[in-house]
Amino acid sequence: MRIELEALQREIPVIAGISTHDLCEYLAMIGFPVDSTDTQSAAAVLDVDVTANRGDALSHRGLARDLAAKLDAPLSAISVTPNTENEALLSVRLETDSCPIYSTAMLKLDCTSANQTPADAQTFLTAMGSNAKGLAPVDASNELLYRYGHPTHAFDAAKLKGGVCVRWAKAGETLLTLDGVQRNLDTKDMVIADDSGPIALAGVIGGDSTKVTENTKRVFLESAYFEPQTVRASARRHGLHTDASIRFGRGADTAFVKTARDLLVDRLISWAGAELLGAWTVGQRDSKPSGTVISKNVLDRVAGESILLDEAKAILLRLGCRVESFGSGLNVQPPSWRHDLSIAEDYAEDILRIRGYGHIGTALPSLEGAPEPLPHSYQQRRTLSRRLTQLGFFQTVTLGFISPEADAKYAGDSQESRTLLNPLGLEYSVMRGSLLSSLWDAAEANQRHGAKDIRLFEIAPIYKSASDGPNETSVLGIVWAGSIGGEDPLTPVRPVMTADLIAIARDLGFTGDLKVVDLAQSAFGLEIPLSKLAEPTEKVIPTFRPFSRYPMVTRDLSLLVPLELSYGELESSIKSAMESAPLQNIKCVDVFKDSKLIAEGKQAWLIRLKFQSFERTLTGQEVESWVQTAVNAAKPHGGVLRG
Amino acid sequence: MDLRSLPPEIEKAHDNFAGLIDACTDLDAVLRLKGAYLGREDSFAAKMMDILKASPKEQKKELGVVINVLKNQWEEAIKSRQSALEEVRRQRTAKSLVWDVTLPPPLPSKGVLHPLTRLIDRLVDVFRPLGYHVEEGPEAETEANNFDGLNIPEDHPARGSADTFYFQKYPNLLLRTHTSPVQVRVIKRLAPVIEQKGGIRFLAPGRVYRKDEIDPTHSPMFHQVEGMLVGRGIGMHHLKGTLDYAMKALFGSGADIRFRPSYFPFVEPGCEVDVRCPLCGGTGCRVCKSSGWVEILGAGLVHPNVLKFAGIEPDVWSGFAFGMGVERIAMMVSQTPDLRLFFENDQRFLAAVGGMD
Repeated sequence: MRIELEALQREIPVIAGISTHDLCEYLAMIGFPVDSTDTQSAAAVLDVDVTANRGDALSHRGLARDLAAKLDAPLSAISVTPNTENEALLSVRLETDSCPIYSTAMLKLDCTSANQTPADAQTFLTAMGSNAKGLAPVDASNELLYRYGHPTHAFDAAKLKGGVCVRWAKAGETLLTLDGVQRNLDTKDMVIADDSGPIALAGVIGGDSTKVTENTKRVFLESAYFEPQTVRASARRHGLHTDASIRFGRGADTAFVKTARDLLVDRLISWAGAELLGAWTVGQRDSKPSGTVISKNVLDRVAGESILLDEAKAILLRLGCRVESFGSGLNVQPPSWRHDLSIAEDYAEDILRIRGYGHIGTALPSLEGAPEPLPHSYQQRRTLSRRLTQLGFFQTVTLGFISPEADAKYAGDSQESRTLLNPLGLEYSVMRGSLLSSLWDAAEANQRHGAKDIRLFEIAPIYKSASDGPNETSVLGIVWAGSIGGEDPLTPVRPVMTADLIAIARDLGFTGDLKVVDLAQSAFGLEIPLSKLAEPTEKVIPTFRPFSRYPMVTRDLSLLVPLELSYGELESSIKSAMESAPLQNIKCVDVFKDSKLIAEGKQAWLIRLKFQSFERTLTGQEVESWVQTAVNAAKPHGGVLRG
Repeated sequence: MDLRSLPPEIEKAHDNFAGLIDACTDLDAVLRLKGAYLGREDSFAAKMMDILKASPKEQKKELGVVINVLKNQWEEAIKSRQSALEEVRRQRTAKSLVWDVTLPPPLPSKGVLHPLTRLIDRLVDVFRPLGYHVEEGPEAETEANNFDGLNIPEDHPARGSADTFYFQKYPNLLLRTHTSPVQVRVIKRLAPVIEQKGGIRFLAPGRVYRKDEIDPTHSPMFHQVEGMLVGRGIGMHHLKGTLDYAMKALFGSGADIRFRPSYFPFVEPGCEVDVRCPLCGGTGCRVCKSSGWVEILGAGLVHPNVLKFAGIEPDVWSGFAFGMGVERIAMMVSQTPDLRLFFENDQRFLAAVGGMD
């Protein structure tokens, strides 16, 4: 909200002696941070942030009230001539409780002078970012709103048909509003209506048919209280967040209804030489709100220290509350402009706020129960991502929603229950069923930037359709594209292969069936649900497993085998042939496929066998016999010893 | 020595020998020379033996001596040349076996953790000694957990479809707009056992969604870390003490904090927390806009309605909660100029601001 320094000073003169910088600090410390200050223009203006619960502070007077409480300084008296309530000059009926009070006046305007708004008011309106219209009823209403926070409205009385009532809109009714838009009203919209139908959307905006123009001879004023929920709903329904709807929507001050009318009357008389024909009010302000008990216990607990009840009471009085002390606490009623004070904590906040949050001490709460361990899911993600970075992978973060096409490429189940109602666009409309599309996008972008070795992973939820809504599961997605190696003089460069991804999956402890997705040439993807990865062992140190203290004997076996033979098959044949031998380990350590050295259709495997007994040192002779057993087991597969 | 008793061919060979042996620069050449002079067949030595055999008996002895001397001379020279070359080779091999330590080391290439993950994990580590564990909830949340349970009024603008993503098929299901629904889930779950547990304290890191267009300072998906503590007699000083500890643990001992009053429906009192600018130490810089302070998180004492909603008696239990935007802090600390960089996953950016811990 824009605040003109001079206008603020008019409400609370003491700030004249405070620098702008210090004033901004004070405002921030009572909950109204200043986003920016504009001291370049004719009038110095602050852009002040007001939280949604403080509709009462959306004016110069409102902010001044809080500053006055903080600085314990007086507010200026409001200069106004109270009007006596007359007989109604026009019938005004309130047909709904959502408008408990409606104060009005009828004035005759002398509309000969073209620009009725005084220069200082025009400057003020400009500083507020609102252009003066030159029409006294409009400009005065706006000026009052920014100064005192209470929205008012002026109708051209000559354009009214019959009496006025505040009621709910009827189905099918429309209203051409001041912004030139024809609006279809809802039965939950509160309107001001005359005999012809709605003439204003209550608390939001006036109607075009009754607007004040330079030809207006008589005005009918409106200063009322409209219930916040109703105004908020109408504003939202019609997308009309006006100065009036924002203030009524957060709660206006019922006690200020008549004053606002009187201020408007005063201005019309002094600015435009208007003649008051009569002022009257329908309904009455709400009955006094019930009090809240603030016990010293709650106050001290919230504050973290003992607060003297006298000090608390003084602060609340400065804020405009009615306060009564009793033995162990205070009984408080909020001022009519505050709609955010109802429970003891609300008042405690205000007491601390005005005392200054800087007075709050520091303490660490004591630990009553035992702390819980970190959940498995979190620890697993943490361990996994660290392992993957050690393996050369870059962790990525991508958006959870993608386009239906991108999703369909890798997800493969129905998108119906994963689709958003109101996405930012089609490309962000489906909660993804696979991470691969996003990861491959990122990989391609890296390729375009010239990266040769692209290793990306993400751990994030994917969505699957289920009967009661989308089902989230955490998965690990990996994309590896381009080439591998070349980082140092000993590691040759080669294209990435499927086997590289399988190796990663095995390294991470995945034992199940693996589906490596071919994304492009030398580009592969892999997706593993975290639930399929090895559970961490419960024990800090695994159970002891005995190991042999006798020497291990290693034998290498160079076998010539058909190209199409699977190593896994051969290995299991050799293992089962040697069940009785103390074979500790069997592993293929080298593969030759050089056509110059090896017959066509063949390859050579160097298979390393390790033998070790738990009972004794092995003899060369028995080892040779086991090696022969291995050679024999290879024969049915077409394997022969390489000469 | 008198070589005249030998044919001129041999004489010439002997004259040439010294030059030839000097010209041998590798062991192969030496072996070839050895073959030519001392080999069993076709060599000069073999030829000399043939001559010796064919010579008259009385000359044999003398000739034999001459031949032996010659052969010995040749053999000696070849042996010494051989060992000299072998030494050169040994030295060369020894040199080649030494690894130049200034070459790139043969280590596997390094990856990095995403800066946002690193920051989240660091926060978990910071709060761990205070007894906080980690709680997590789904991204697809119910309106009840995301709004109702947090004392957010039914007509609050944040509930609108302009701010919050809803699911097409499930009108009550939305993408959580903050990590605060995890509060609701956890206190509801623990309400029946809160006496035994002696309270609740946890961090809830996670991804959240808001309907913001993607630009340098906005993203429709971002990360928050929520923290909550429920105990007996919890007040603002506990919140301040906890956050003061945490910010100092995160940014260093100079990271003082200050509270400013603010408003969130699920806390009362509410506050915004500033930390003394970690970049300039409070003297004023671009990041803190010369104020010396940067806004780092929102917090407050848990609103009694939130506790009541979950079935916890607010007269007995009270607590605090705080929530911070991970991207905001990451951007500030790294001085990354554009939020979008965190989601583009350019390996160059990640290598620069990520790390391995």
